[in-house]
Amino acid sequence: MENFQSQTAENRYDKASLAKNNGATQLSNTNELDAEQLAELMLKVANLRCKVSFAKLFKHFGPKISAFGNQRLHQQGLAMDLVQETMTRVWTKAHLYSEDKAAVSTWVFTVMRNQCFDMLRKVQHNKEDSFGDDIWPLFESDDAESNEDDFKLSGTLLRHVDELPPLQRQIVQGIYMQEMTQQELADKLGIPIGTVKSRLRLGLEKLKGFMEKHYD
Amino acid sequence: MIKYHPQHELLSLHIKGELPLSMSLAISAHAELCDICQQKLNRLTECETAATFDNNTESNISVDLDSEMSSLLAHMMQDTLDELDANPAQPYNEGVTEVTVKDQSYPLPRAFRHQINAQWQGIGKVSRLRLNTGEEQSRASLLHIAPQGEIPEHTHKGSELTLLLAGEFSDEYNTYRPGDFMLLDENHQHSPKTMTGCLCYTIVDAPLYFTKGFSKLLNPIGELLY
Repeated sequence: MENFQSQTAENRYDKASLAKNNGATQLSNTNELDAEQLAELMLKVANLRCKVSFAKLFKHFGPKISAFGNQRLHQQGLAMDLVQETMTRVWTKAHLYSEDKAAVSTWVFTVMRNQCFDMLRKVQHNKEDSFGDDIWPLFESDDAESNEDDFKLSGTLLRHVDELPPLQRQIVQGIYMQEMTQQELADKLGIPIGTVKSRLRLGLEKLKGFMEKHYD
Repeated sequence: MIKYHPQHELLSLHIKGELPLSMSLAISAHAELCDICQQKLNRLTECETAATFDNNTESNISVDLDSEMSSLLAHMMQDTLDELDANPAQPYNEGVTEVTVKDQSYPLPRAFRHQINAQWQGIGKVSRLRLNTGEEQSRASLLHIAPQGEIPEHTHKGSELTLLLAGEFSDEYNTYRPGDFMLLDENHQHSPKTMTGCLCYTIVDAPLYFTKGFSKLLNPIGELLY
């Protein structure tokens, strides 16, 4: 056991097998879940509002978040607040998680780091602002993603957006810069989604035209 | 083609959440314009996640949550989660997505959405919109220079960050394009000029702490030293 305790966490799988060989029971109920299990739990929380799955995620991540909070927020006595705020957001923002874009642990890390950033600013500047999610988005818009291959959002594109006619510019900016979905834009502007699609298509074609003219 | 990128250490501190707001705004806005740095940030996030979560031996060994954690979980299961679902959050306030200065509109990077609370001020071809980041150590602004405008030669007490958001400008060293991220120290003099006009994000009098991480500033002794 001494041997086991003194090991650093180079590889938890090695440790787990070592513990098994030693007949140690500590790890038999370990909370460690693999990436696939985590993704499954996350989807159940997002789609089914499954509390049992949430509790499993809490048991997995809670102690890790607390350890991070103890390092970063210990002086302020806010480690438990960080656990609570982070896990609350895991529940309320679960629908933003996408398995294709990141592992669950990376996403939870992002939620936690953003929350910690806002809490530190509150301590330091007494400001109730929450800018973490603006700086490190919790997701990327699906629409932007699906268009990425044929039209990459780049500095070059940004320069030309201003040259679009206002109605097309509004749509292109909505989709690419505000990361709204086509449906959200349609609702916001009170126009049919078909109109959003056609203006987006016209706008993108025009932007491609600008690009070709300038860079061919 | 973006030629100037934030150095690796800044990207790393940014991912840890240890830079001051003014600087993290700059990195985030740069990455929105620069795929290369965005990919680096994605990788760094994965590495940082592993370093933070996987090396956490304590949680691997303890089977049970401590009592404080257990009661938090119990409370969330019994009350909080239902309350959260019953009271949906306020609709997301998308904030300011573009700025208009001298009849010219520019889309704003996402990071700046909730930072624009002031008016443009300026004389002649140079306009400035101050951001209130709450940091005493540095001043962050959007800076607009109209076509054919220039800023007289100047040096800086601390360092000066310039992130070009739109348009172009040149100085003694080079010509810059949107996304270029220039961190100059007090030894550099320059006098930027623009032919067609430009919009920049700038941080001036930025002291050492850009590369030191700001959690150290929370330490009261650190505060005195700076």
